[in-house]
Amino acid sequence: MKMKKKLSENILDKFSIDFLRTQVLKNAYGNDDTVIAALDPRILIVWYLFMGLVPWFVNNLWFLMACFILVLVTTKLARVAGLVLLLFVIGVFTQTGYLLVVSLFFGGNASTVVSLLILTLKVATCSLASITVFSGLDPDRLSNGLMWYGCPERLSFSISYAYRVLPMLMGEFQNILLSFRMRGNPPEHETFAGKVKYLFYQVKVIMHAFYPLMLNTAKRSRTTVEALEIKGYRYAAVNKAVKKMKFSTLKVTYNDLLFLAVSFLWISLSVLASTLA
Amino acid sequence: MNIIEIENLTYSYPASKKPILKNINLQVEKGDFLAVIGNNGCGKSTFCKTLNGLIPHFITGDFEGSVTVDGLNTLESDVGTLACKAGYVYQDFENQIVRPTVLDDASYACLNYAMEDYKERGREALSLCSLEGREDDYIWQLSGGQTHLLALAGAVSLRPDILILDEPIAQLDPSHADRIYNVLRELNEKHGKTIIVIEHHTEYIADYCKHVMLMKDGSIAWKLPTDEALRRVDELQSCNIFPPQVTVAAHRMEQEGRFSKEQTLPTTVEEGKTVFKSLRYHLPFPCKKPAKGKREPVVEFKDVSIAYRSVKGEDRVIFDRLNLEIHRGEKIALIGSNGAGKSTLMKLMVGLLKPGDGDIMLDGESIRRKKTESLSKKISLVYQNPEEMFIKDSIQADIAYAMQVRNIDNYKERTNELLARFNLTELKNRDGRLLSGGQMRRASLAIGIALNPGILLLDEPTANLDIATRKEIMRTLNDMKEVTETVMIATHDMQLVCEWAERIVVLCQGKVVADGTRDEIFGRRDIVETVGIRPPEIFYMGQALNKKALCYTVDEFLERFKEV
Repeated sequence: MKMKKKLSENILDKFSIDFLRTQVLKNAYGNDDTVIAALDPRILIVWYLFMGLVPWFVNNLWFLMACFILVLVTTKLARVAGLVLLLFVIGVFTQTGYLLVVSLFFGGNASTVVSLLILTLKVATCSLASITVFSGLDPDRLSNGLMWYGCPERLSFSISYAYRVLPMLMGEFQNILLSFRMRGNPPEHETFAGKVKYLFYQVKVIMHAFYPLMLNTAKRSRTTVEALEIKGYRYAAVNKAVKKMKFSTLKVTYNDLLFLAVSFLWISLSVLASTLA
Repeated sequence: MNIIEIENLTYSYPASKKPILKNINLQVEKGDFLAVIGNNGCGKSTFCKTLNGLIPHFITGDFEGSVTVDGLNTLESDVGTLACKAGYVYQDFENQIVRPTVLDDASYACLNYAMEDYKERGREALSLCSLEGREDDYIWQLSGGQTHLLALAGAVSLRPDILILDEPIAQLDPSHADRIYNVLRELNEKHGKTIIVIEHHTEYIADYCKHVMLMKDGSIAWKLPTDEALRRVDELQSCNIFPPQVTVAAHRMEQEGRFSKEQTLPTTVEEGKTVFKSLRYHLPFPCKKPAKGKREPVVEFKDVSIAYRSVKGEDRVIFDRLNLEIHRGEKIALIGSNGAGKSTLMKLMVGLLKPGDGDIMLDGESIRRKKTESLSKKISLVYQNPEEMFIKDSIQADIAYAMQVRNIDNYKERTNELLARFNLTELKNRDGRLLSGGQMRRASLAIGIALNPGILLLDEPTANLDIATRKEIMRTLNDMKEVTETVMIATHDMQLVCEWAERIVVLCQGKVVADGTRDEIFGRRDIVETVGIRPPEIFYMGQALNKKALCYTVDEFLERFKEV
């Protein structure tokens, strides 16, 4: 009962937009002084491609375990924000983790447990690797890295611009929601039926709040579009020299190589171990 | 040498038949500091956008005549080339900033135009705009004034000879406003930039600008040296522009025959000192102070503490054990610099924020356990940004909403009443966002008092408005005194404070540093200086003539300073 009560209050109260906003900011920029953030984005992207793809094609438990531990360490090093980790845990659990738990408790034999564990490890490794790269790197470095590999300028600009406006949008969204709270008249929620109604009411309010948010954003973006034109955004997109200047900030250092070497060594060790075992 | 030459410029926006700029001819000399003034909607912003090529290259429309900027005809060059000639800072400058960190944003344009030394240019621009040391900060760590300086730095980095600013200080407290203008003055005097500002604050024009250009219905009425321009009191007032209070005072004396016509009207306090030298101060009859009986408190802050989570490091403490009492029927002005905690205080009262520690009592009951929705009949908050209060697609629906969902019987009549009271009946089917600044404010006030709350909180009701609209809102607020019981206004607008408030609460770094009547606040030099609040200009004038003088309006000044 207590849980239910919490759930119905949570949407607008505890789990406030303000909280979300700080988490997003923390995630994007709060960890720019970590080991991971200092790495060259191109190196990290290659590393990510390996960690994100290879585990899907390998069923060796040793190898998967090693990959998982490796990404666990990098996630720790990247100092990822709490909310993202929570979402990760919930995500993995609802995908496959619960099956693993169920089969453990209800007499699944060793082979089912192992095959489920393998699946869980694959999902977990892949997601943690993404978390490391996408939240460990600041969006700008990430977009520069992507551009180096030939992603269109628009995509990389959008990534960094999204992070620029997101806090603003969330602040605005919060204020619109607060308007609804100040003037709205939510259903009583003492009884169970009332609580369900209240939950629906809150969801409805959130949906209604999108309309003013969109209009306000449209109004703001008028200035932004003009400012981008003045600042030469369109010129840069077709100018090769600009790209070159942007890439000149990227540099592969000793640390990057060390990072690759350590990862490589660790994975090779696991392969070695599995052949010996 | 003329840096800007405009000949027979006529322009109308696409899909509009009426030209917004009509037959404009203008020369601006290199190194000028020009203020552009005029009514809302007279084409000031449009005019400025023709200078950097946004019109006609980005915003099309019917364009006739020619605009030459530093020898370049804007029709024949592109926006990129012109951006290096004329920099532009918008009124809603925060939307102009597109990069997450300070140095990045300042050098972004230079990078886009493939300038090899873009980082140095960014740094140079930041130091010109006194933002050194903030290079690696993120945008949201800056205050409002610093954000504006950054927008300016973004324009300065391209090293344009002309800088155009659209209402640079509309949202800023006086100390930040001074900083912006001092930076502009330095750019103008030391670096020879030509500066054009759209400005309503005539005191700033008098202090900083060299020329003034008045626009009327899309054409230029005149361009004159600042002194001469500001002395045209009648003409300015007919265009809803309010000359400096010192000038207005002298002008009124002239009309009353107390001031010889040969003398020129003063435009600054400095000039006023010599002109008004012969005036004597007469102490006003001490009016009876209202008996300070035991007044009933409606809101009490008891040791309230609150902190915001921050992205990095420690949480930012806004209030640390704040105590404040608000009594029934009071008209309170809440003042203090940007970021002193004014908005937070108001959000706490309506229950939108919960205090980390301590308690807030509303009518003797703690609001800690109460839902915001249930407080709204007693207390109501009108945001600084009216757009965020429009949650329906017409202002009629917006005003009715709170009453409608509470099934108030005659909500339709009351909505119509409110629409009429705030002069909005003709606009009732329009979306609030599409109204003009003053109309938006009025609509948001109507929404705020729809439920007839005992306590009304207004966050910066006059920010971002031109002075005519500001006066109109001030009138509305004075009219509202009868219908609302307790009102609290958070504001930087000291004229509003002096003319409207009965009690002034000064916040500084999360503490109430002063609390009292206007004489008790503005009479204390230490407070005025440490907190960075600024009484109206006429108050300074009075003080400069006689230390004991405390006059807040031109009327009071004229009453108390006499020839004998």
